[in-house]
Amino acid sequence: MDAYLIAIAIITAIYVLMALGLNLQYGLTGLVNFGVVGFFCVGAYTTAILSQKGVPQYITFPLAALLAMAFAWPLGLVSIRLREDYFAIVSLGFSEVVRLVATSEGWLTQGVQGIPGIPKMFGTFSGTTQALAVLGLLVVFNLVAIAAMLRIVRSPFGRMIEAIRDNEEAVKALGKDPAGFKIQVLVLGSALTGLAGAAYAHYIGFISPEQFIPLITFQIWMAIIMGGVGRISGALVGAIILMVFLEGSRFLRDVMPFISEVAMASVRLGVVGLALVLFTMYRPQGLMGDFTRK
Amino acid sequence: MSLAIQGLTKAYGGLHVVSDVRFEVPKGALVGVIGPNGAGKSTLFSLITGFLAADAGDVAFEGRSLGRASPMERARSGMVRTFQVPREFSHLTVRENLMAAAPGQAGERLIDAFFRFGTVKAQEKEIAAKVEETIAFLRLAKVADVPAGRLSGGQKKLVELGRALMTGARMILLDEPFAGVNPVLIEELSVRIRELNERGIGFLIIEHDLPALNKLVSTLHVMDRGELIASGTPAEVLANPRVRDAYLGGAAA
Repeated sequence: MDAYLIAIAIITAIYVLMALGLNLQYGLTGLVNFGVVGFFCVGAYTTAILSQKGVPQYITFPLAALLAMAFAWPLGLVSIRLREDYFAIVSLGFSEVVRLVATSEGWLTQGVQGIPGIPKMFGTFSGTTQALAVLGLLVVFNLVAIAAMLRIVRSPFGRMIEAIRDNEEAVKALGKDPAGFKIQVLVLGSALTGLAGAAYAHYIGFISPEQFIPLITFQIWMAIIMGGVGRISGALVGAIILMVFLEGSRFLRDVMPFISEVAMASVRLGVVGLALVLFTMYRPQGLMGDFTRK
Repeated sequence: MSLAIQGLTKAYGGLHVVSDVRFEVPKGALVGVIGPNGAGKSTLFSLITGFLAADAGDVAFEGRSLGRASPMERARSGMVRTFQVPREFSHLTVRENLMAAAPGQAGERLIDAFFRFGTVKAQEKEIAAKVEETIAFLRLAKVADVPAGRLSGGQKKLVELGRALMTGARMILLDEPFAGVNPVLIEELSVRIRELNERGIGFLIIEHDLPALNKLVSTLHVMDRGELIASGTPAEVLANPRVRDAYLGGAAA
């Protein structure tokens, strides 16, 4: 049971990193990024491929984040000046392109078979010690990310991205270019997502294209919506709620043994969907959202 | 000459929204543009400030042709607009709205926000002092810490004016500043505009509310169906039969 809880905590911590990135992009800046999983995938494959070649993790992790940024930057350059709903579609398309490239470019990614045997983090340890070390590292990542987010929110940069979220035309009328800010935000958020991808790859030990479907993107969206869009604490709490629903619904089988294993997978998604509906109906500002703000 | 509008033209398909409009706004002047609904006033504003691309014509500000300059470049050159429907930063407080408008902030660069904390803090202090002055001038002190989205229509217009002032604009274009504003605040707003004008800031004002504008401006331009049909002092313009016909729909004839 302990091992199970630590495992869930690790996955949650990985989701929190992505939720923090998306919260920066959408919650604070209003950038509708439907391609979160694409950057996650880039991070995961970067570290997996390099690790196969014997590159140590302290190099592959930063490279995973850097490569995710390197993908985000040109994507932002070409598409961020589009209307926001167009950017949403472009980003979704981007994540699907990444997944299809991972599927088809077998020479690089081993195609549908995926990349097995990705070395574990803290491989010199074993059992609970190793799991706790991984969790500890992820908590450190998250703390650094949260500290950075707080710094951003309290800076003039943070003020400006919130202004962009509230009214982009007015920002232009003041002589400031929203596109530059949005690209920086896209790139920075993608770095966190890429890092999350690297941690995921090393933790699970095996990646294949089918793990990087748009469902992951929408799970992160659910997390920040349930937690409270635009709140840093919301990203944290939202990822935890998401995991409680995803994992908690696993135990539904104990009370509903008549449902098959396969059907259960759908029921679990249904539970999360129902939670999302209830949240948007009764607590649209999210759990950590401010009651006083409109 | 501060602002020269040189034959601006914009058509959507066969519909001429703005046709060959030309007039000048002298330095430090208070000039109004009136016209019935759909006369093309707001479109003219968008053409002047670069939010729409003109089919023909140009705008020169302080002797420099703006050509195809972006809205941002135009604003940075010292000519800032407000909007007919206020575009406040609704989740930011009034104070934050004004802070955000200050130009050239080091802290708006991520690197500086993280690593040049001292510089950023010192600059924030400077900007904050200027914001306090502006808030006092616009009598917004009571709502300074209220999210701008919760203000009344008139207060939002004051916030927009405040933001324009924070940019250091030498020419401010107000799009229907009195629309949806209560009479007391209209008077208040007029007084503020006059005071700012005395300090040397030029104004070009689109307005529907004639009485309020007449008292304020020295020169009035009248648009109807995309064309400039009359120009002059408010008294001259209002005596013009063509204006009475267009504006009052012939009712006064």
